[in-house]
Amino acid sequence: MQHFVLEQALNYLIDQGNADLSALNGKTLYFALEDLPINVNFVCTNDRIFVTTDTSAGADVDIKLKSSVFLALFQGEDLTELLRQDKIVIHGDVKTAQLLVDLLQQIDIDFEEVLSKYTGDIVAHQIGKLAKSFKASDNPLEALKDELTTLLIAPTKSKLFKNKDA
Amino acid sequence: MNKTTHFGFKDVATDDKQSLVRGVFDSVASKYDLMNDVLSFGAHRLWKRYTIASSNVKAGDKVLDIAGGTGDLAIEFRKKVGDAGQVVLSDINAAMLDEGRKNLINNGIFGVEFVQLNAQQIPFADNTFDCVSIAFGLRNVTDKDQALKEMHRILKPGGCLLILEFSKTDSEFLKKFYDFYSFSVMPKLGGMIADDEESYQYLAESIRKHPDQETLKSMVLDAGFGFCEYHNLSGGIVALHKGIKV
Repeated sequence: MQHFVLEQALNYLIDQGNADLSALNGKTLYFALEDLPINVNFVCTNDRIFVTTDTSAGADVDIKLKSSVFLALFQGEDLTELLRQDKIVIHGDVKTAQLLVDLLQQIDIDFEEVLSKYTGDIVAHQIGKLAKSFKASDNPLEALKDELTTLLIAPTKSKLFKNKDA
Repeated sequence: MNKTTHFGFKDVATDDKQSLVRGVFDSVASKYDLMNDVLSFGAHRLWKRYTIASSNVKAGDKVLDIAGGTGDLAIEFRKKVGDAGQVVLSDINAAMLDEGRKNLINNGIFGVEFVQLNAQQIPFADNTFDCVSIAFGLRNVTDKDQALKEMHRILKPGGCLLILEFSKTDSEFLKKFYDFYSFSVMPKLGGMIADDEESYQYLAESIRKHPDQETLKSMVLDAGFGFCEYHNLSGGIVALHKGIKV
């Protein structure tokens, strides 16, 4: 189910962000997130990305990274720098990996704006604020788990209520 | 010696299966949607919704829905592809296509083309469609391998095949319930609502004769698709196979 969500999200972002996928057409990228159960092939074809768990066919490039590094790529982090810091492992055609990074960085989308269509402005803003604080963390997933736990056990201590405490 | 194939649990001459299947669908066409809702407790709408969401179809795409019957998928595809795209609703059975035409008009959907065709000989040029779908239709096709090759042929490179079909569940509890429901309840409901117990007996039998998830995946790959994966829905009672032509 994770790859279904990933496929929907990527294609939605490419569509809404007016990103150009043509340079990646015909390429297959094996993509593994080390901290999440996601090992998939990105099949870039016909101006869209299919995310498939069928990894039996060979890929042009293998990319392994953590989810926080994946999010960093969206925010314009330099691939070469991440490679130098061993935060991302690439086997195969590095040019294809760079094309994917270029694509992710082309996506210019205001997540709060998109979210506000479904949740309203206030909730979208609060979630955006929360997301920014997680992004600043070294381990966003752990930070998210901690925050959810706080929210369930002691909601007034949650970051969502921080301003109200002050 | 005549070649034979299965029609439910019966062996019939290969050449006869098509007309026997046509007879089943001629008989149930007018009550098809109602029966689907009753027999699946409405779940078929969720399975189809998931299929549409998985299609990756976008504005301007060309889509062929094979064995599209009453047009559930075609309606949603038409909304996705918009006026710049093209949706073809096809079925081997004229009575089902008529029901589809009525259903689309009742839903205010226009601009869908209707074609009566046999999935084993699809009358479209190579590399025509961005997406081909077949929902609850493949098990009725006599030569499934040939039909899959045809679907591969008419898809553009990068095109997507979606096969939504009854499949096999691994859950012992579900299996027992499903067997009882399929063979003891479904035909009776078919008799009561559609006045056709025999056709719904065939439906239950044909599901058991259909290839399981892994076998169908191999068949899709053998037909030439570069990738194929499947997702079990409702515990594997239904599976969605998705093939990508590379």
